[in-house]
Amino acid sequence: MFDIKAAGAAVASAILIACSMGQAAHAADKVYRIGAPLPLTGGLSPEGLRMKSGYDLWAEKQNAAGGIKAGNDSYKVEIIYSDYQSNTPRAVQSAELMITENKVDALFAPFGSGATKAVSAVSEKYGVPMIAAQAASAQVYDQGFKYLFGMYTPNDTVVKPLVDLVLKSDPSIKRVAVLSRNDLFPLAIAEEFLKYAKAKGFEIVSDQKYPIGTVDFSSALTQIRASKPDWIYTTGYTNDNILIRKQMQEQGVKTRLIAMLIGPTTPEFIANTGKLAENVVTASWWDVAAKFKGDDVFGSAEGFEKAFRAQNDNRYPDYSVASAAACGVVLALAVNKAGTVEKPKVRDQIAALDAHTFYGHIKFGPTGQIESLKPPTMQIQNGQPTVVDPVEIKQADIRFEPK
Amino acid sequence: MTKAQTQFLLLIVGAAVLLLLPVMSGNYTLRLATIMMMYATLAMAWNFIGGFTGYPSFGIAAFFGLGAYAGAVVQARGVPVVLAWAFAIVIGSLFAYALGLILLRLRGHAFAIATLVIAEVLRELTNGMTDLTGGGMGLNLPFFGWGPDALGRFFFYAMFALAAITLATTYIVAHSRLGFGLNCIKQNEDAADIVGINTTRYKIIAFTLSGGFAAAAGGLYASWTGYIEPSDVYDILFSIKPILMVLLGGMGTIFGPALGAVVFLVLDEIVWRNFLQLHTGILGLLIVILILFLPAGVLSFDWRALLKKKVSAT
Repeated sequence: MFDIKAAGAAVASAILIACSMGQAAHAADKVYRIGAPLPLTGGLSPEGLRMKSGYDLWAEKQNAAGGIKAGNDSYKVEIIYSDYQSNTPRAVQSAELMITENKVDALFAPFGSGATKAVSAVSEKYGVPMIAAQAASAQVYDQGFKYLFGMYTPNDTVVKPLVDLVLKSDPSIKRVAVLSRNDLFPLAIAEEFLKYAKAKGFEIVSDQKYPIGTVDFSSALTQIRASKPDWIYTTGYTNDNILIRKQMQEQGVKTRLIAMLIGPTTPEFIANTGKLAENVVTASWWDVAAKFKGDDVFGSAEGFEKAFRAQNDNRYPDYSVASAAACGVVLALAVNKAGTVEKPKVRDQIAALDAHTFYGHIKFGPTGQIESLKPPTMQIQNGQPTVVDPVEIKQADIRFEPK
Repeated sequence: MTKAQTQFLLLIVGAAVLLLLPVMSGNYTLRLATIMMMYATLAMAWNFIGGFTGYPSFGIAAFFGLGAYAGAVVQARGVPVVLAWAFAIVIGSLFAYALGLILLRLRGHAFAIATLVIAEVLRELTNGMTDLTGGGMGLNLPFFGWGPDALGRFFFYAMFALAAITLATTYIVAHSRLGFGLNCIKQNEDAADIVGINTTRYKIIAFTLSGGFAAAAGGLYASWTGYIEPSDVYDILFSIKPILMVLLGGMGTIFGPALGAVVFLVLDEIVWRNFLQLHTGILGLLIVILILFLPAGVLSFDWRALLKKKVSAT
């Protein structure tokens, strides 16, 4: 028995030694190191992988363009990843480890407002600039922190323009049905929508939530059909919305306008719903259709789409990968302007940034949350995502189904 | 020195080292230690029903999540932190008691599966009560305006106190009539019933202790993290990891669960730091190896025999 135990202990310690040897020495100087805790396993892993594809794409492009220029030096970008297992305390732990042991120059925040808020307490304390690709809640930014920046405007900026547009375009639309996925972001959007639509005098005739992973929406849709809405507003991810749109047809749900967040602008949605995609409205922080131009490594929204598709099996880049890549663009621009990688100076340059990029106009407000971005509202017209708001980049007027 | 004396000496040394941590080490180590003590508490909580009584409970995640939400909901409404924790403990214990009345009629696999679904049910309920819990959006808690250093220390000491109380309770239970009765139930429940042990009552007490301590850990966790969401705190891993830790450390022993938590988390940390993608798989492999070769836990390893053999060999 004893020998078996000893053998077990030997095997275990051999694996451990192998593990510790895996810790490779880091390359010499002139490297700009960015820490990115990501949810690579667990419930948020699809989001984590999307963020990673955005960061990787930027890092590759930036390095191909000779790295980040700071004064006379060029820095090669190196992103240090860790998997925080979709677990908030682990994200905080990762960030602390990256700052104290990997000596990172900047951080890319984890996914979501909650984890970002938790991690920002650590990055602030050590004075490390942190850019959040995926945190929209104003409560993340109102803590008075100086080193935290966010690439999303608050959720209401995605919701309000559409409500205002509908109100302006067709006052006969009154009755609204809401169907939302009971999940962090989709639910937050739906709550924001309900609040604003009520304030603007719309009548909420149906308000339902569906659990994550729902494939049969028939009971919710039956209720919606019975409530005779002029406007149906659904929130969820692409696959949810594809199913909902198809099942609306099967259930014979009729309405004047269908709004779906997020997904209708993706080729997957258009291919899977065919004619049913026509006239579906959506809004998000960014979309290729907005055709932004800029002087970053991607050049334009289309340039970003092309580069992203080339590297990711021809997948369509949504707002979340664009936002992730834009985090890198912001850092590169700021280091460039600062002429140094010193953290406080880089931080000041991010705060003062006013640039046009593939992601749109980037300028941060006093709390660190971006304020220049005007989330576009889009409608599928003739099978193409078409911008209907804001006016500056509008391509066509919003359309309604006939009465 | 007897084995018990050695263990106590080690315990005191261990506690002293832990208490000195905030003075000697950085915030990162402090954070690790706090996590360790949280898991030690969960492992000890499971040990009451799983280790002593031999009932395969997968209910820790349910109690942990319930405690986290009970504490967080009242704390978000302005109740002081310590009272919120007390509330979490009360809710967790009451829930475990009520649940025990129903579920402890089941045995073996049926009991395991029944406890397994509790967390799922609670998660869906929490998701549905959007007004109270924030649903899928999660719940943000107010930080009480202290610096990260002070906050880190506060929760370190709070978690230390909780782990110490749980350990003391484990010790008391093990040396009382209750512990003896639970052990009898584990060996043969029908026989225990016949010799006059009130098996139902004993089992319910063990289950309630398990629920109460897990809920306390949940309450502390919520205020420490400052943000919780249903899929975070009702995570099935909160049910499974404590069981693994107890298996690693030594089932039904006093120090085994805490030791198992330390061993587990040290392995976890080393593997996690070094492997970005495969860490969960490698950790699983290590644990399988350890449990395969040390089925009675790390505590059963006879270090002295190892030393003696080495000495005699040379």
